[in-house]
Amino acid sequence: MLKLSANGIYKNFGGLQVLNNVTFTVEGPELIGLIGPNGAGKTTLTNILDGALKPSSGTVYMNGERIDTRPPYGVARAGLGRTFQVTRAFRRMTVLENLLIPAMAMNTTARQRDFEEKAQEVLEFLTISHLRNEYARALSGGQQKLLELGRLLMLDPSMIILDEPFAGVHPRLMEVIYRYITETNAQGKAFIIISHDMDTIFTLSRRLLVLNYGDLIADGEPEVVREDPLVKAAYLGEEEE
Amino acid sequence: MENAAIFGWALLWILFWGALGGVVTPRIYARKDLEISQASFGGAVIGAALGPLSLFPLWVATPKITNRLIGIGIALVVGLFVAAFALADPDNLCVVNGSFVVSQLTNGIVIGIIYGLMALGLTLIFSILGVVSFAHGEFYMIGGMVTYFITARWLPGVSPFIAILGSCIVTFAIGYVFERLFLRPMGSGKIERPTEYAILVTFGLAFFLQYFTQALTSAVPVKAQRFFPFPRTEIPADSGALLSMTPGNITILDAISVPNPRFTAAVLALIMLAALLWFLFRTWVGKALRAVSQDRQAAAVTGINPDTMNTLAFSLGAMLAGLSGASLVQVFSWLPQVGIPAAARSFVIVVLGGMGSLPGAFLGGLIVGLVEAAGTGCIPDATRAASYMPAYGMVILTLVLLLKPTGLFGREL
Amino acid sequence: MNPNLVYRVSGSIAVILLLAIPLASSEMGGLGPLVLSSYFMHLAITGFFYAILASSWSLLAGYAGQFSFGHMAFMAIGGYATGLIGKFIRFTTAPSELCTDIPLPGSWWLVILNIRRVGTIDESCLDMAKTQTLPAGTLIVFPPVWASIAMGLVFGAIFGLLVGWLVLRLRSTYLALFTIGFSEILRAAISAEIPVTEGQSGLELVPLFPAGLLGFSSTSKIPPYYAMLLLFILAMALMSWLASSRFGLFIRAIREDEEAAAALGVNIVRFKVLVFVITSTIAAAAGALQAHYIGIITPNTLIILQMSLVIAMAVIGGLENIYAASVGAIVITFVLELLRTSVSIGPIEIDMTLWRLVFFGILLMLTLRFQRNGLLFPILERISRGGVAKETVSIRTETDEEFADLEDPDTDGPDAESSREQPERTADTENAET
Repeated sequence: MLKLSANGIYKNFGGLQVLNNVTFTVEGPELIGLIGPNGAGKTTLTNILDGALKPSSGTVYMNGERIDTRPPYGVARAGLGRTFQVTRAFRRMTVLENLLIPAMAMNTTARQRDFEEKAQEVLEFLTISHLRNEYARALSGGQQKLLELGRLLMLDPSMIILDEPFAGVHPRLMEVIYRYITETNAQGKAFIIISHDMDTIFTLSRRLLVLNYGDLIADGEPEVVREDPLVKAAYLGEEEE
Repeated sequence: MENAAIFGWALLWILFWGALGGVVTPRIYARKDLEISQASFGGAVIGAALGPLSLFPLWVATPKITNRLIGIGIALVVGLFVAAFALADPDNLCVVNGSFVVSQLTNGIVIGIIYGLMALGLTLIFSILGVVSFAHGEFYMIGGMVTYFITARWLPGVSPFIAILGSCIVTFAIGYVFERLFLRPMGSGKIERPTEYAILVTFGLAFFLQYFTQALTSAVPVKAQRFFPFPRTEIPADSGALLSMTPGNITILDAISVPNPRFTAAVLALIMLAALLWFLFRTWVGKALRAVSQDRQAAAVTGINPDTMNTLAFSLGAMLAGLSGASLVQVFSWLPQVGIPAAARSFVIVVLGGMGSLPGAFLGGLIVGLVEAAGTGCIPDATRAASYMPAYGMVILTLVLLLKPTGLFGREL
Repeated sequence: MNPNLVYRVSGSIAVILLLAIPLASSEMGGLGPLVLSSYFMHLAITGFFYAILASSWSLLAGYAGQFSFGHMAFMAIGGYATGLIGKFIRFTTAPSELCTDIPLPGSWWLVILNIRRVGTIDESCLDMAKTQTLPAGTLIVFPPVWASIAMGLVFGAIFGLLVGWLVLRLRSTYLALFTIGFSEILRAAISAEIPVTEGQSGLELVPLFPAGLLGFSSTSKIPPYYAMLLLFILAMALMSWLASSRFGLFIRAIREDEEAAAALGVNIVRFKVLVFVITSTIAAAAGALQAHYIGIITPNTLIILQMSLVIAMAVIGGLENIYAASVGAIVITFVLELLRTSVSIGPIEIDMTLWRLVFFGILLMLTLRFQRNGLLFPILERISRGGVAKETVSIRTETDEEFADLEDPDTDGPDAESSREQPERTADTENAET
């Protein structure tokens, strides 16, 4: 059973306090939305969970192991995968090679052809199997986004953080991503999804975390959070009016 | 050196406490949740300055590490270094002869001004285009070559100003054409990984320009005549105690002696520097350039064409290198290869001063000029010192890159 | 056709041809009308030398994206390490007493010679020991060439490890400046420490093979040809195995996006350091072999212009493919030599020894600007990826047409540049999309 706990995370850049005592726990295959106004510290929190940034103080544990002291690749091997706000495909490598990288990184003794079948399945699930030998740079922006999601399936983490998966994507593509999230979640992977798309995030997630200027101001079911006066004041108020 | 051991131990002392300060200080500051961006460098400097005497108070009190604190630290380190040198080698000319020291320092400053001018060109290019031009030394070489050919071969007897103007035009034009043909496409997204492309293509330009010049001029060293010989003067008239000038030299207070070509070059460099500052801070185009260096997109929104500014910055930078070459061709012998050490020196200065910082480049130039003068004047084993000359700068370069990639005056990366 | 098969077949043919070339050399009497001079053989050896350097640099810069300008420094480290071992180390059957003696098992001693002062004619400690302390009949043995070359490799690897670890945080421009600095410091140190390295006059090395080996004369080019060819083949075999294994996959991912690679579990620190160690070891091997072949090594081998030559070879051949870079290096070595002869146009005689380098510089810039993948790589690319567009279309028609509109590159995606930045997208790829 997956368990991730962030305990009292503080982060400051120079004098700027970006995260202020953020504490939460994820247990089991939850589907969590992380929202907050611009500059609330969502991406910083992601970077700390991922190991790209070290917290000024506080700890992150995953399945009993401390991961905030690990480098990003160590966190990935511990079972936490993420995407980036801006799509980051390996542009001058083929789609297939893009998918093989996480699989090979997780299995230090395996050979590439051991994973080609699995990669094919992932590509078919994401409807881009015809592009397997194209360079990633030849893909459209949306296809590159799918490729990024595919890489996470190959990494096979127990928890996935998606940074703005719906930003600027075609409605049809949105369906594919939506299906990806729900099906993968049903297979037992936890999700934290950062999004500005309120409608989607409220229907998709079963739990919401709200950040505001580094403070975690709400944590609960979407319906409850929607009515939270703090959240309304900080964030949703502007949206609904 | 008589007591080399003293000097060696002093160096070891400086290095040990510097390293300790550099490693431990950021951890202590981080534990106290303080800003650590300056802690590594500041800790190293303060540690090197007074060792445990300054480090332990620093770790206990953990004051904010200001530039002033770092400045005091650097001054102390230099002082310690000089004192150790004086103790180790008491008979050295640099220790016993005051007027020799003052002359060396003056010459260092004089040459440093010109180094600074050349480095300004490099840093201007970097601040606008975000690339380091590896062909900078070749522009310097061409500036000198053109000046030499105009004054000595093509139009003998013509005013040196015409020759300098000619070298400006040539280097500006080469820079302009190159930027338009090879660097302009970078901005339009036609080229992936533009920084690496820029490194390689300027490298190619350096290769081409160097061999092109060599093929045209053959590799015989040349040297231009003094541009403006001094009139013979003595003040006061009988002794020349205050100031005495011969065509090739100026002596002030019977102590400071500067050769004419260096003096002329420094004066020329100062004039050009003033013109450059006026251009950058008083004219519209100059302001636009600085705006682009600070924020490309914001500048583009206000109606400045960043592409034009790129071309202008590159050509101007090339011209500044050409100008320093033009002023120095009367000081040093000139060969198609002179650009290489000059470019290396500019890299050192720019990295030391902070990539993209204009005042940093100028101050860096002065520092390097002074260190070189001290190095050639004071180090006992002259031949070995001369061989190691290019390495000193490179040691500084690599150390700064490792310890403080932003340089002394650089903006944060 | 299977691209792997094409590579394998053409590679085997090339190897067989290269192995057979000495048969046509003048020493062997030539093959019918084809008689290759010993100058040609020398050029071939030099070509292999540059091919090893250019292809290992392409692994470092083209695959891993580490644009190091210190590659020639590692080459020189290899050459000087083996040269200095040959100069300062001897094995004897009795202690010299005057030098530094280190006892070895089997009543042998390793003797480290003293460093003589410049400008003096005092004898080396071993010369004095011969007349004073060493008993008559003592054997004095030079270190075997293969062993000192192997030590050259070790030193190359150590320095590669050091530099690779130091530059971990530095990117692009800063990395380039740092490696130039490293190279220049090394060059200055070699030039200055004359008692050790002989400075500008150069360090002499023993020949690669003793005279009379298998009946070849000491000036014969055939043994060094095979030695350099063997190193070339070994280096290429190692690098192509690495490039096609997880190593190649990971370093290319690091080149493309370090952070994304790390987030997918790639240990970027390990692979960045490793690529430095491997490529510098290969460069050191080439340097050590070449130094013994030429017989002398000087600090001028690591000037920036030499580095530019290697870079230009890799770029013109094809930076992102070790085969293209190595073939480019061999071709360019020969072309540059062929262009040496002066030409006369009417009364003007053009000294091509310089002008060829001028044109070479122009070619380098034009290649970078208009044919970034080099002149040879696109040909290899055509062979190995010829079927991709066809495959894209054929599989595409099998999958559902429902998502057809997703493939339009301009409809979606925040990365608007991605649709613009596709200069290398070939015409057949475009067909696949319409």
